[in-house]
Amino acid sequence: MMKYHKFLTPLALAVSLGAANVAAAQQLTMGVRGGPESMDPHFSALGSHAEAAKHIFDTLVWSGDDLQIEPGLATSWSPVDEDTWEFKLREGVKFHDGSDFDAEDVKFSIERIPVVSGPTTTTIYVRRVADVEIIDPLTIHIHTDGQAATLPNDFIRLFIVSSEAAADYSTPETAAQGFNSGAATIGTGPYKFVSWEPKGDLVLERNDDYWRGKGAWETVVRKEIPNDSSRLAALKAGQVDVINYVSSVDYLALQNDSSVDAVIGDSVYVMNLQLDQREDTPLVRAIDGSDLDENPLRDQKVRDAIDYAIDRETMVDIVLEGLGKPANQMMPPGFFGSSEDIPMPEYNPAKAKELLADAGYPDGFEVDLYCTADRLPGDGAICQGLGQMLTQVGIKTNVNAISKTVYFPAQARLEYSMFMNGWGTLTGEASYTLGGLAHSNDPDVKLGAFNRIAYKNAEVDKLLQTGATMMDPDERRATYEAAMEKVMADKAYISLVQLQTVWGAKAGMLEFTPRFDEDTLAFFIKPAS
Amino acid sequence: MLGFIIQRFMQAVVVMAVMSVIVFCGVYAIGNPIDIVIPPEATEEIRLNTIRRLGLDRPLYEQYFIFIGNLLQGDLGRSFVYNVPVLELIGGRLPATLELVLISVISATVIGVSLGIYAGYRPDSWLSKTIMAVSVLGFSVPSFWVGLILILTFAVNLGWMPAGGRGDTVEILGIEWSFLTADGLSHIVLPAVNLALFKLAMMIRLARAGTREIMLTDTIKFARAAGLSEATILRRHLLKLISIPIITVFGLELGSTLAFAVVTETIFSWPGVGKLIIDSISVLDRPVMVAYLILVAFLFVTINFVIDLVFALIDPRIRHGASA
Repeated sequence: MMKYHKFLTPLALAVSLGAANVAAAQQLTMGVRGGPESMDPHFSALGSHAEAAKHIFDTLVWSGDDLQIEPGLATSWSPVDEDTWEFKLREGVKFHDGSDFDAEDVKFSIERIPVVSGPTTTTIYVRRVADVEIIDPLTIHIHTDGQAATLPNDFIRLFIVSSEAAADYSTPETAAQGFNSGAATIGTGPYKFVSWEPKGDLVLERNDDYWRGKGAWETVVRKEIPNDSSRLAALKAGQVDVINYVSSVDYLALQNDSSVDAVIGDSVYVMNLQLDQREDTPLVRAIDGSDLDENPLRDQKVRDAIDYAIDRETMVDIVLEGLGKPANQMMPPGFFGSSEDIPMPEYNPAKAKELLADAGYPDGFEVDLYCTADRLPGDGAICQGLGQMLTQVGIKTNVNAISKTVYFPAQARLEYSMFMNGWGTLTGEASYTLGGLAHSNDPDVKLGAFNRIAYKNAEVDKLLQTGATMMDPDERRATYEAAMEKVMADKAYISLVQLQTVWGAKAGMLEFTPRFDEDTLAFFIKPAS
Repeated sequence: MLGFIIQRFMQAVVVMAVMSVIVFCGVYAIGNPIDIVIPPEATEEIRLNTIRRLGLDRPLYEQYFIFIGNLLQGDLGRSFVYNVPVLELIGGRLPATLELVLISVISATVIGVSLGIYAGYRPDSWLSKTIMAVSVLGFSVPSFWVGLILILTFAVNLGWMPAGGRGDTVEILGIEWSFLTADGLSHIVLPAVNLALFKLAMMIRLARAGTREIMLTDTIKFARAAGLSEATILRRHLLKLISIPIITVFGLELGSTLAFAVVTETIFSWPGVGKLIIDSISVLDRPVMVAYLILVAFLFVTINFVIDLVFALIDPRIRHGASA
């Protein structure tokens, strides 16, 4: 066990072994799985897009390593009245072209988003904004449509572009051209834009006047290498200094490799099994193939049985090669709204069989399970494992681990009865996760858009609606914790495992702390000293 | 000859039209890209707005005719994912694929045909036996595995070659080429070898089989009786006679490699069109998928058309048979 010790102390500054050839290193070359889709930060809400944009642009509110919100270009914020937030802006910040940052740029950026956003739409960050009012160059009032308690959380990916440089590049037709060429790619961030090509390299040079201080690297090259094996090979061959998303198979091999350091970080993704609660559900049958009188997944005993049938420890150790943690709720522990009072579910197949018999299914039943197989590390394998565990207690499970391009559209058409995919609490707080999944699907209150199992618990709905309007953080936290406890007790959503991600770096060269949102940011990677 | 060309041309047009319908419907059937790309926080209103902006709310036939209308004006649409014209996106990456594929297919053909003729000409020598034995490997070992082994051996362990990516480029006729620089050449060697291996094996086998057959025919006997040197016989008679199947295969391989060099491009992080199309499929970037498949269809049709013409030139039977 000793030799794994180095790797199993995650979240620490895991990589600092000696000081090999660091002084000479002025360039950081990163091998990343995915890249930006445009140089316009407002084009896409994709994680890898925002990750690249964070090198060049700053956000109004910053999300830290554990997704806690911190001052960014705004130094402080507070609610003025029910539907107005006041943001104080940072003084003395300059854009890469030397012009001053002020309230005008914030207003311009917010108003630009709905015009230039692509299909992975960034309008979600400003969906609550009704109007932007400039009070003075460093004070801005955001008027919202109703109470918006989580507005600062929405702004963690609100990138600020220069209102002068981007003025002519703010229509859907001109935006890509202006930003991809560099004409409008003027931010306040730690690095200046040099060049980029889609799916190719993003080249950056240091912004010496950065308000957080000077970065460690003079130039940064961000290479897109989508294939996991190729990315690792590039690291081993010395073409890149650091890579993200080392696969679990490669991670095992790396443990015997002294040339590469592995850094493990917790991810925001939790795998959830979802059980359709409609009275008529399409893909559940009696064991002999005949129709059932009612949907067994609506029976609390059946749902409890399913939970008892799942061996989360085995899932983590065998299926995920140790790169995960058993999960008891839809968000990682410590997030705003995660409850500490939810017990870790017990693995007890005998009890599961008993409960099934109690519920009137002594011989079990048959169900088609659908999962994504290419979206997150291990999703297909977890699906297989799940199928076997359920079959063992008598629920004959046909496993269908399929491509996300087929899975999500079908899931949206409500074609599945039992399905599993990952959900990442990207904002670090519960209104995002519970509001999307656990509220009954109700467009009128704009909640439950991703509740694809017709789950409805009146108490949960009420808690989530009141929680969204609470301006006091402590009260709000307690409300979401209560909602989380109720949702998990109903077991229509059964959380299985929380994933972890692995970075690889040249041994002893770099020092960095993994971030919860999995961003690999050059500014926060330092040479080992 | 003219009639032959016109006939073939008409066939090509019909194939293209049918292909465009199949591609469009197939891509449409996979599902709605919005379900994949839209972020979880999006409200229903945002969702509907996005769908409308991309024109996805229109019925299929309407979308198809808009597409065809634009296509006839040379506009293949804009990528959902990159918001740039598709033609620009594909065009920017085509040279990378083109140089990789041409280098590997041409070298595989030249080397493969030479080795194959030798193996057919002297079937009992130990060298021929070795060539044939090795060519079996070229067929039977999967190319992704060979690619990874090449990287492991030459890039990771020996450190002779880069592990992937495209090297420095020089601009000629407004297009960036990498095979003309030393750095670019060092990047292209491993993927080209990887891509060429299967084709090399096939060319060896084709050339050998052809050679063995032709060597026993009267043509060769008479040529020998006429006192021609062996070198002349091989060059002038044998090569010409075995070239028809080889040209067919060369054309098809060229097309399929251009269109589907995906595996090699992915493993070697080669910034070609194969990688682009795979990425586009995974996010259902419809304009790119459709445009790409249509271009591929066009490519195959063109290559087949050219091959038919070449046949007609080297084999008078085809020429006369068709125009009769």
